[in-house]
Amino acid sequence: MYLRQNAALVRDSLQEALARWVFWAYYGLSTLAVLFFLFLLRIDVIEGARATITLLGDTSARSFPVRQIVQQAYGAVAILLYVHGMALAVFAASGLMAAPLEAGRIEWLLSKPIARAQILTMRFLAGLMLVALNASYLVLAVWTILGWKTGVWDPAFMIAILTVVFMFAVLLSAVTLTVVITGNATVGTMVAFALMLISPILAQHKLMVKLLDSEAWRTAWRTLHQVLPKVYEVGKMNMDLLRGRTVESWAPVWSSAAFAAVMLAVALYIFSKRDF
Amino acid sequence: MSTEVAIQTEALTCVFRRFWRRRQVRAVDGVTLAVRRGTSFGLLGPNGAGKTTFVKLLLDIVRPTAGEARLFGLDCRRPEARRPVGYLPENHRLPSYWTGLGLLEFAAALSGTDPRTRRRRAGELLELVGLGEWGDVRISRYSKGMLQRLGLAQAMMHSPALLILDEPTDGVDPLGRLKIRSILQELEQRGVTIFLNSHLLTEVELFCKEVAILDRGRVVLAGRVRELTAGKGYRLTALEVPERLFEKLRAQASAAAMRDGLAEFHFPTREELNEALDLLRAERCLVESVAPSVSTLEQVFMRTVGAGQEGPCT
Repeated sequence: MYLRQNAALVRDSLQEALARWVFWAYYGLSTLAVLFFLFLLRIDVIEGARATITLLGDTSARSFPVRQIVQQAYGAVAILLYVHGMALAVFAASGLMAAPLEAGRIEWLLSKPIARAQILTMRFLAGLMLVALNASYLVLAVWTILGWKTGVWDPAFMIAILTVVFMFAVLLSAVTLTVVITGNATVGTMVAFALMLISPILAQHKLMVKLLDSEAWRTAWRTLHQVLPKVYEVGKMNMDLLRGRTVESWAPVWSSAAFAAVMLAVALYIFSKRDF
Repeated sequence: MSTEVAIQTEALTCVFRRFWRRRQVRAVDGVTLAVRRGTSFGLLGPNGAGKTTFVKLLLDIVRPTAGEARLFGLDCRRPEARRPVGYLPENHRLPSYWTGLGLLEFAAALSGTDPRTRRRRAGELLELVGLGEWGDVRISRYSKGMLQRLGLAQAMMHSPALLILDEPTDGVDPLGRLKIRSILQELEQRGVTIFLNSHLLTEVELFCKEVAILDRGRVVLAGRVRELTAGKGYRLTALEVPERLFEKLRAQASAAAMRDGLAEFHFPTREELNEALDLLRAERCLVESVAPSVSTLEQVFMRTVGAGQEGPCT
């Protein structure tokens, strides 16, 4: 029964996403990126490098510059996905989260024998699925193209999928809470964008703590840095992992996850109590 | 509370408060109501009487401030209580990205219906509401009347024991209304309880067996439509009544009038009516009609709620 209802709710969300242009644009941009890579790899530099490696048959020594190029390409895609892709995903998903709360629709949904939490969590999951699918599509396509052209198959690139989906889940939790309180997708998007924008500023906490003259301000800064999701730091971790560097601390991941858990819990609580 | 009662409320109260305002609005104020299983029940009331809020309380869309509501004996706050309920909201916005068939299947899936049954029911119900050829068309292309019929179909998808319909014929043409009424009558004959929230008093009068009138959140009148509209006394009309006899009967009647040669009398008792009939027959007058005098539901409504109100509406 619950499984059937949950599957129906997820399918409804996916159906709605299919009907929205913004999701097509989101997937369209990924396709453009893939096509761009296909085109880029036709140019002489890569072809020449690949031919040299193949001719000499010594991939270990000569593949270094190619591997570097591939890793740079991975980095470029990861940044594109993490920053621009994420912004577009948040923009698209905010509307998806707010849609079932529209007057005339929420009453109909709530009249069904389903728990309120199901409506919200299944929407959330459907949003995650859409973003995970897009990130996987882009990353796997680029990985395959680069691997096929250069012979470099680095599985570390897959981390980009996990990072994007994780941070999107964190931002979507903030969007969910905002949408539950305000019922407005635009406000939800603005909150998520604000969190994305403020993160690199808050990340400079060591410098700011030195510059601030009051202890109260220093505490406020530290608190904000600890509480709010660390979009910048997790992005940096993503790049470090792609380049095979060691991650100094996983704290940004845990604290961002804690933020998401709190946001979702509060959103579910408010949604379960709200009158429509 | 008995499960023979489809809907039962005890002192159900809903007060809306605003954080920034002191004023409270008692949308529903201590409503105690019982709707028997298998009946057709109409909820009436002027604008802002609390009818839609009452329905929302039944479906846990709005939470009560006090009191309780039960559906077939189950606390309405439990999702299982809504399993035997089909609901058509007022001014609904059904997801327009679905096709007619898709939406019906989605609605049934939310009610836990298995895939095979929902596919079969969706086709049957689209035919029933006259949308058989529109099943594969996106809802965004449906007219208002079609949306209402689709809304009714989705409410019936899981064969509910209770149908709660908020303005079901809103935007539907007269033929469509007739169709909806006949569907509802058929459902009622099959034992489905129908709870109708409508501002169309004639519609409620034609279809519902029982009604309740809400005013300022309170039930001001409730009962069987037949009993509420039954008047006291009898109405008699006759032609070719001589003036002398008319004057004589007027003295006996509680009311009398002459319009275009048609004399109309109202007698409070059966005996007085029969005496008048004897006199009319003796004078060879043509008796046009004899009937117990009744009020329309509209008259009952206006008497109950007051002529000063804007008029019945949700």
